[in-house]
Amino acid sequence: MNPCSIPTPQQDMEGDGRWNSIHNRFLSDAKGKDADVIFIGDSILQALEHTEVWNQWFAPLHCLNFSIHKDQTQNVLGRIKNGEWDHVDPKVIVVHVGTNNVENTAEEICEGIIEIIKTIREKHPSAYIVLPSLLPRGQYPNGLRDKNSKINRLLHEKVSNINKVEMVLIDKGFVQSDGTISHHDMHDYLLPSNAACRKAFEPIYDLLQQIWSEGEPEKDLTPSE
Amino acid sequence: MKMVLSQRQREELNKAIADYLGSNGYNDALEAFKKEADMTGEMDRKFGGLLEKKWTSVIRLQKKVMELESKLSEAQKEFIEGAPTRAKRTPTEWIPRPPEKFCLTGHRATITKVIFHPVFSLMVSSSEDATIKVWDFESGEYERTLKGHTDSVQDIAFDHHGKLLVSCSADMSIKLWDFNQTFECIKTMHGHDHNVSSVAFSPSGDIVYSASRDKTIKAWEVATGYCIKTYKGHREWVRMVRVSPDGTLLASCSNDQTVRIWNADTNECKMELREHEHVVECVSWAPEAAAAAINEAAGGDNRRANHTGPFLASGSRDKSVKIWEVSTGQCLATLVGHDNWVRGAAWHPGGRYLLTASDDKTLRVWDVAHTRCLKTLYAHHHFATSLDFHRSLPYVISGSVDQTVKVWECR
Repeated sequence: MNPCSIPTPQQDMEGDGRWNSIHNRFLSDAKGKDADVIFIGDSILQALEHTEVWNQWFAPLHCLNFSIHKDQTQNVLGRIKNGEWDHVDPKVIVVHVGTNNVENTAEEICEGIIEIIKTIREKHPSAYIVLPSLLPRGQYPNGLRDKNSKINRLLHEKVSNINKVEMVLIDKGFVQSDGTISHHDMHDYLLPSNAACRKAFEPIYDLLQQIWSEGEPEKDLTPSE
Repeated sequence: MKMVLSQRQREELNKAIADYLGSNGYNDALEAFKKEADMTGEMDRKFGGLLEKKWTSVIRLQKKVMELESKLSEAQKEFIEGAPTRAKRTPTEWIPRPPEKFCLTGHRATITKVIFHPVFSLMVSSSEDATIKVWDFESGEYERTLKGHTDSVQDIAFDHHGKLLVSCSADMSIKLWDFNQTFECIKTMHGHDHNVSSVAFSPSGDIVYSASRDKTIKAWEVATGYCIKTYKGHREWVRMVRVSPDGTLLASCSNDQTVRIWNADTNECKMELREHEHVVECVSWAPEAAAAAINEAAGGDNRRANHTGPFLASGSRDKSVKIWEVSTGQCLATLVGHDNWVRGAAWHPGGRYLLTASDDKTLRVWDVAHTRCLKTLYAHHHFATSLDFHRSLPYVISGSVDQTVKVWECR
C-alpha cells in the first residue's frame, strides 16, 4: 500500500502536540466562518498566509488557510477525512502538498495528491480545485528539486482531463541561469518570501478573479465614440 | 464598436495565437494556422504565454480602473462641493467624513460589533477575542474590559436607559451586564443549541430577543432569565434580529437568504421577504423621519406613492442593500455599489441617509431618496464588520477584522 495515500496524522516528533492543536483550531474555524476559498496544504501555503500578498489578494475573497508546516500528502488526507471539510461550502479549494514527502517516490506522491483530489471531490462535487505546481527547493540543483518537477509533470498529465480541476504552473522564475535559487526568493531555500509569493501566486490570484467574474455581466471599459 | 489592429499588432496576435496552440498541444491546428497565416521560422520567446496574459490582465485592469474611477469621483466631489465647516453643520445633514477622529486598538481579534451608549459619551465593542471593551468616544480613551464569555462575542445591545448591556457569544450563552455601577455580569442565559449570533432589547427593556445558528429566535424575560418564547421558521443560521421601534415586530435575517417579520407577542411569522440572492447579514429598522426619503425613492414617476411603513433596510452577501415596506412585503429600493459582502447597516437619525459597512473595507453613505451612494469612506485595512450612528451627536463608529475601532466625526 502506498504510504502517501493512507490518511495519517503528522507524527509528533517534538512531543508538544501542536499538529493536533492546529487541526482542532481549523475544525472550529471551519464551523464558524463561511469561507469561499480554502487553501489546504503544507509549509509553502502556510508561509503565504503571513505575506502582504495574502492580505492584498486573498483575504478579500473570504479565504481560510488550513495549511500546516511540514505536512505530507497523507497528513492532509487525514485532516480532510477527519472533519475539516464537513461544515464548509467553498467555491474554490487550493491544494499544495507533496514537497515534504521526502522519503517517497514521485509516483507515490502523485498518487497521494490524486487521492486528496478524489476525497475533496466526494465532499464538494461542485467546487473548483486549483493545484499550484510544487516549487523548486534547495540552493543548488538536487534530487528533491528534480523529484518535484517530475511530480509536476506526472500530475499535470493526470489531472488535465478532470473537470473543474485546474493545475497552475507557478514554479518558473525561481531557478536562476546558474542553477541556484536566491535567498531573496526563498530565505531558507524552501519557503517563498513575500516577493516570491507575489511572483508565484499571481496566476492563482488571476484564476480566482476569473472564477469570480464568471457569471457577472461584463463591463465595457472601451466605450466607442 | 469597430476595432482596428495595426499590421504589427496583427502579427503579434498571430504569434501569440501560435504560441497558445503550440503550448497546449493543438499541433494540427498550429500547423494549419501557420500555413494560413504564412508564418515561418522559430517562435520568439517573448510570445510565450502572451495570449493568456492579455486575456487575464483585462479583468485585472477592469477592476483597477473601476477602483480608480470611484476614488477619483469621490475626490472630485469633495473638491467641488467641499464639506460644511463644524459651525455650519446641521443634525439632519451631517455625515461622517475622513480622516477618522480616533483609531482605537486593544482587541486581539476581529471586532464583531460596535454600539453607542444611549446616554453617556461611551461606546462598546465586542470581539472574537471573547471580550467586550468600553471606550469614551469623545476623548478616545479606553475605559474597561468585560470578561466572561469563553468564545467569540457576536453581538451586543443596550436597553433604552443604558443601564443594562446584553451580549451573546459563540459559546452559546447570552449574558446581561450591569452598566449602572458594577460592570459585572449579573445573569447568564442558556438555551440555544448553537452559536448565538445576535441580541436585541425590547423598547420597554423587559425582554431580550436572541437569534442563533440553531435556526431559532428566542425571547427571554430579563427579570427572571427564563426563555418565554421560541420563533421557528428560518431554515438556516439566523444572523441578526432587531425589534421595531414600537416593539410589536421583530425582523430577522438568515443564511437561508430571507428576511422574516415576526409578531413579537405571538411568535407568528407575518412575512417572508425574499429577493436577496445570498446570505442576508444585517437588518435595520428605519426611523420615522425616513418615510419621506423612502417614498421619494419608491415613487419614481408616480409622485403619489404613499407608503406608510414601517420600513426596514437589509444588507446581504449579494453586495446589495434593500429597503422594504414591511406591511406589504414590497421591496421599495435597492442600493448597489458595494464590492463585497454588506455586513452592517445603520440609519442616519435624520432619516435621509442610510450608512452601511462592507467587506470591501468601506463605509458608504447612501442618499436614500435618490438611491445613490453619496459618500464612500475607505475606512479600514480589512473587512468593515459593523457601524453605529449616534442618536443626537455628530459621531459614527465602525469596527473591522483589522482589530481596530474607529470614531468618525460628522460634518
